[in-house]
Formats: sequence, C-alpha cells, structure tokens
Amino acid sequence: MNLQFVVDGLLAGSMIGLGAIGVTLTYSILRFSNFAHGDFMAWGAYATLAAVGAIGAMFGKIAPIAPLSFGWPLIAAVVIGMAITGLLALLLDLMLFARLRAKGQAIIVVMASFGASMALRSLLEFIFTSRPTYFSRAIQIAMPVGFGIRITPDQIALLLLTAVLVLGVHLLMTRTQTGRSMQALSQNAALARIVGIDVAKVVRVTWIVGGALACVAGVMIGILIQIRPFMGFDMLLPMFAAAILGGIGSVPGAVLGGLIIGLAEAGAVQLIGAEWRAAVSFIILMTVLFVRPIGLFGVRER
Amino acid sequence: MSQRVLDVRNLEAGYEPGVPIVRGASITVGKGEIVVVLGPNGAGKSTLIKAIAGLVPITGGTVLLDGSDITAAPAHTMVRLGLAFVPQTENIFPLMSVEDNLKVACGILKPREIPARIGEMYAAFPDLARQRKTVAGNLSGGQRQMLAVARALIVHPKVLVLDEPSAGLSPKFVAMVFEMLAGIRISGVTILLVEQNAKAALAIGDRAYVLVEGKDRHEGVASELWNDPVVAELYLGQRRLDPERDRHSGKGSAA
Ligand SMILES: Nc1ncnc2c1ncn2[C@@H]1O[C@H](COP(=O)(O)OP(=O)(O)OP(=O)(O)O)[C@@H](O)[C@H]1O
Ligand SMILES: [Mg+2]
Repeated sequence: MNLQFVVDGLLAGSMIGLGAIGVTLTYSILRFSNFAHGDFMAWGAYATLAAVGAIGAMFGKIAPIAPLSFGWPLIAAVVIGMAITGLLALLLDLMLFARLRAKGQAIIVVMASFGASMALRSLLEFIFTSRPTYFSRAIQIAMPVGFGIRITPDQIALLLLTAVLVLGVHLLMTRTQTGRSMQALSQNAALARIVGIDVAKVVRVTWIVGGALACVAGVMIGILIQIRPFMGFDMLLPMFAAAILGGIGSVPGAVLGGLIIGLAEAGAVQLIGAEWRAAVSFIILMTVLFVRPIGLFGVRER
Repeated sequence: MSQRVLDVRNLEAGYEPGVPIVRGASITVGKGEIVVVLGPNGAGKSTLIKAIAGLVPITGGTVLLDGSDITAAPAHTMVRLGLAFVPQTENIFPLMSVEDNLKVACGILKPREIPARIGEMYAAFPDLARQRKTVAGNLSGGQRQMLAVARALIVHPKVLVLDEPSAGLSPKFVAMVFEMLAGIRISGVTILLVEQNAKAALAIGDRAYVLVEGKDRHEGVASELWNDPVVAELYLGQRRLDPERDRHSGKGSAA
C-alpha cells in the first residue's frame, strides 16, 4: 500500500477537524446541531476570494511567496474572510437562531439551520454561479519526502497552519477566562449565570471562533481542491462524524476525530476506490453511536 | 440589625405567567446576620431565593441590596452587585478541575488579584487545596458543598445565599457544613440560608422566617423559634420539630 494516503488523509483531516471544532462548540454550548456550519466554510472561501480580488485591484499583481502558490494578499484576505465569516455566523444567530432558542425547542433550531444552509448556498450560487473557481491555477510540484510520499509546499504550510490554530483554540479553551466560561456554559447554563458569566457574550465568542475556523477550512479546500458553493455542504457528514467521534464538546477530540476520518477516507479511496469516500464517515459515525456514543474524549453526563 | 443588607418586600414570583409560587414574601437580612428560612416542602423557599438571585421571573415587589434596587437585575450581574448564590444541587461544574471551578467564578476580580484570592480560599478550605487538580465531579458530597461555597465567597459578596447546603449529606458532613457557615459568619459575611435541617440551622442562625405557601407567616429570634408552638404548627402540622424526621422528609426534595 502506497503511503501517500497519509498526507492526503492528514490534509483532509485538517479541513474536517477545523470545521468539526465549530460543530462541537455550537453543539455543546448552544445545544443544537448547526447544519449551516458547512456553508460557513463556503462563505469563508468566497469571502476570502473576494478579498483577494479587492487587494489585487488596489495593489496590482503581487508575486507569490517563494515555494508557495500564493502571496501575502491571500494571507491578508484569509484574515478578512475569517472576520466576515465570524460576523456572518453572529448575524445568523442574531436574526434566526437566538430568537428560536428563546422558544426553547431544540429541533426547531436544527430545522432552521437546515433552511439557513440552503439559503446561504443558494445565495452563493446566485452571486458567484455554481461554476468551480480557484485561488490559483499555478501547478505546484510535489516534493518526494521518502517512503514514497510526495508533498507540496502549500500542503506543508496548511498542515502547519492547522496545528497552530488547533493549539491556539485549545489554549483559549483551557487557559483563558473566556474559554473557561465556554466550558462552564456547556456544563451548566444556569450555574454559569450564577457565577457571573454573561451568556450572550460567550455565545458571541463561540460563533466568531466557529465561523473563523470554518473560513480557514474553506480556504484550505479552495487552495488544495477548488471553490464551489457546495464545498461546505459536502463536508457536513465528515464534520459531524468527527465531532461525535471525538466526543461532543471536546476541541482536541474534534481535531483527532477529523484526522482519523480523513485518514480512513484516504485509505479507503486507495484500497477500494474513490466512490467509497463518503461511506467512510457514515460507517464511522454509526459505529461510534452504537459502540461508544460519548466518543473518544466525551464524558457521560452526570 | 442596624443596617439591612438584603431587603425583600412583598415579593411575587413564579415560573409560569399567572402561577405565582412566591406570593408576597417579605424578609430582611441585617449586616453580619445569619437569617434562616424554614418551611414545609413545596412552600416556595427555593423559588424565593432563586427569584432574589434573578433566576425566576419576579412579578411583583422589590429586592433591595444595600439599599439599591436589584429586582430586575439579570442573574449574571448579581455577583458584581454583591450577591452570591449557592443552589442546592448542581452547584459545581462537574467536568472542570477544582481550581478551574474557582477561577471561572473570578470574572469580576482583577486578573492579578485572582491567584492570591484563590490562595485565600485554599487556606480557608485545605481539603480543596489538596484536590485542586481533581475533576470536581469526583469530589465527595461534602467537598462539593465546600467548593460551591468557596466559589461563592471568592468574589467578596455582601451576602451569601444558600439553598439547603446540608441536603443529601451524611451526618458527618452535615456537621461540617454548619461549622463552615458559622466560621464564614465570623469572618463578617452576611448569610441567608434555606434549610430543612431546622435544628442545626436555628442553632447557628440569628433570626428565622417560616415560609408557607409562598408567604412569610412567622418570624423570630432563631434560638426561640425552636420551641415556638406556632412554628411547630405552621411548619410541621401536628408534628414537633424533629431533626431526624426532617431529614427523612427532606429526602428527594430537589431544588
Ligand atoms: N422549575 C420549576 N418549574 C415549575 N414549577 C416549579 C419549578 N420548581 C419548583 N416548582 C414548583 O414551585 C413550588 C415550590 O417549589 P420550591 O422548590 O420553591 O419549594 P421548596 O420550599 O424549596 O421545597 P423543598 O423543601 O422541597 O425544597 C412547587 O409546587 C414546585 O412544584
Ligand atoms: Mg427547595
């Protein structure tokens, strides 16, 4: 078996994992499955693409940074895209989810997120058409790194970026007052208020973090594969499978779940064929739900 | 009782519109006092203090804290206003360490004060210091109550409000909890205490109220209420105040 699937799997796993962090945070803190989360990825990718265009219009053509396929405009554009996606998530909560949450029925919020997902996607198709597009058409040469594995400079950069972001979110969750407040809210909302936590503020942070990470995942897909309105929706099943496999509420769990699913997908593609990729997430999801519903890092509710 | 820290006047509160549970309750807590609220199961004691803490909608009356009106204040602003509440059950974050349970409650302190303040809590509760890395859900019942109380005290509240801190504990821990409360009062903290364990609560309390059907029906000096026939009548029907039986009848009466 060719070990190339390890690189492919880690990359797919990074995208899934970054998305799954948002899914697991919304689920544990706001107590609903946000089916629009995948579309945050697509919106993030398109927002970044638009920002790249705007920067290009202002500064003219800028050469890529040495071995990478992109230059500083894309890096600046991702930051803008993250802000826009975070705000989009916040706006959607303000207009839709918060109002429905106040009514107290979780299933209605879940259904609303499904509707929001379709609306967000259609809006992208309307603005950008459904034709795939790319950040760069340049072809990168993959370097051999031994064991029959080849990797491009872009891929290395994106794996490093994922590692940095995951570490950052983990530190935010465990070392800062904001992160402890998020944990507290997910464990006992009433007690969180009693100890002085402003729930509305923590909810806002949750959306911004989830949206911003979804944007990065979307941009990764855009750089490594392509940008299209359905790109995020197609990630929904693997993201939920990763979040549940890792244990709902656990940031490291979501990332590890993402990597496992990414590797399993890439392995399956190599062993049995590409048409089985989608089945892998489903099989893993079902296995976890039957064997260990609390996931790898999950803890039973007391 | 020169200065009123807490002044609750004609409070009306309930979970659903049109179904008042607290119906015109008035209680006051003076500076440095321990005031006990007694009453039969379902009298609305928990609802009363949850309403004071901003957790149950208030439909009438006022709550004054140190003279300022906090009736409409949202629950999460109470610690800043000076009121710290310890609910009866689920009063710790079970998946966080002891230390993180304390830290997460320090939102209103200045960041550089926090380590010293946590140190003070550990000095006051050595059991917690020994278990600082323990996940709070693994603590014993008595230690959980300690953690919940330490978490409330850490923000220097003007008044500490507790809902049945001895409920569900073994006799050894019950004694420990009341000792702890007496100690806290000596350190100058004002306490409002709801209890089923009337004997022990009246022993450490200054004054007490008997709440029946959402209204304060009787008030008196704690040490005298124990032998007050009116209380026996109101609180227990025909029965005498009997701590053993109290404990049994109090079983399973969750907040
Ligand atoms: N969350 C709730 N929603 C609706 N009704 C409630 C709720 N909690 C309590 N009640 C009702 O309010 C009334 C008073 O309950 P409360 O818990 O305040 O009594 P209590 O005096 O604290 O009793 P106990 O001694 O058993 O703790 C009861 O009739 C109870 O059914
Ligand atoms: Mg009660």
